[in-house]
Amino acid sequence: MEEKENILNILSKTKEAIKEGDTTKIKSLSNQTTNTASLTQDPENIAIAVIVYSLSKILERQGYSQLPGWDKFYRLYINSIDNSIKALNNNDEKLLKKNLEAIRLGINKLSGKLKDYIQDVFRKASINKASKIYEHGLSMEKTANLLGITLYELAGYSGERTINEIRPANPTDVKSRIKLAMELFR
Amino acid sequence: MNQKIIVFDAGTLISFSMNGLLDYLRELKKIFNGKFIVTKEVHHEIIDNPITIKRFELEALKLKQLVNEGVLELPSSIGFKDVDITKKAEEIMNLANSAFISPNRPIHLIERGESAAMALVLMLKEKSIDSVLAVDERTTRSIVETPEDLRIYLEKKLHTKLKVNLDNFKELRNIKIIRSAELIYVAYKRGIVDIKIGNVLDALLYAVKFKGCAISGDEISQIERMK
Repeated sequence: MEEKENILNILSKTKEAIKEGDTTKIKSLSNQTTNTASLTQDPENIAIAVIVYSLSKILERQGYSQLPGWDKFYRLYINSIDNSIKALNNNDEKLLKKNLEAIRLGINKLSGKLKDYIQDVFRKASINKASKIYEHGLSMEKTANLLGITLYELAGYSGERTINEIRPANPTDVKSRIKLAMELFR
Repeated sequence: MNQKIIVFDAGTLISFSMNGLLDYLRELKKIFNGKFIVTKEVHHEIIDNPITIKRFELEALKLKQLVNEGVLELPSSIGFKDVDITKKAEEIMNLANSAFISPNRPIHLIERGESAAMALVLMLKEKSIDSVLAVDERTTRSIVETPEDLRIYLEKKLHTKLKVNLDNFKELRNIKIIRSAELIYVAYKRGIVDIKIGNVLDALLYAVKFKGCAISGDEISQIERMK
């Protein structure tokens, strides 16, 4: 896995933050994964970005812990993070993939409201991470494909953020572009 | 062939569709002496893929209807084969995705849909057919128009030094680009916009911005001053 040390550091700090119940720190750690995910575009880096961000959202909403199936799912989540750290320390990419996949499988095994909530958190986390990666300069289609979301989801979400305020230093003159469009329809 | 072509990338059509403005595209087509074309790759992104997802099925159906009506057409309608476009798109994608190089790797920036749209515009130009690319997202536009600016932006965001091979973009510099924002302006100026109250141009431009058109508030102000 590329950028192993950085990811290892993020996961280890995430574990500490879980113990401290510090969801703000977890969210901030998830933002640190964006740079690596944009550069490497490695599926494991992207999965970790989504998993860490989702965790911050899940822990923010304490109501989840009252729902049936929570304890088992939470244990699986934390074990998967622990085992991912071990896998990274041992350079065991296969084990890392298996543990990241275990979280997805664990969600599929949930039922009732908890399943709906957690699936929703993960979907929104994917869109959030996609918008961050798009902001880092990858194209919209490239980003949507990396995160497994549709262009409709990314276009809607990124449009609400300030990404579209970013202009190149030497943009094509607005008047020239309008003139081109008007001439096309003359 | 003595006609004009607008080749649409996915994002521009998504901006129109998600804002419920597809009737404006229908009306624009009526006053356009040419064709609106989507490649098979873009067709996949805006119709074939989302039509299988309940949340986006309706958006996909609305765009499929435009294809069925002939408002949007496929490259075969102008005598271009998908296989040739895909081949050219692969070349463009490989060039673009190997042009910005970090110390460890090239940065892959674009995908098949965007590449295919650019490929078709270049193929049309080779046949001296007047064509324009309609693309809303920022990266593809920067690759075509301001690749050096894109390098500066990527370096800042990725916190790494990049080498850029500008030669990879030579051919792309011939592509002319508009966005949904400019199409909205044309619709407004040509009397297609049926809302006649309030600052409707401002509302429409912000609507497309909020659905992914990379346009700044400053640019919107400039366009409004051209009313």
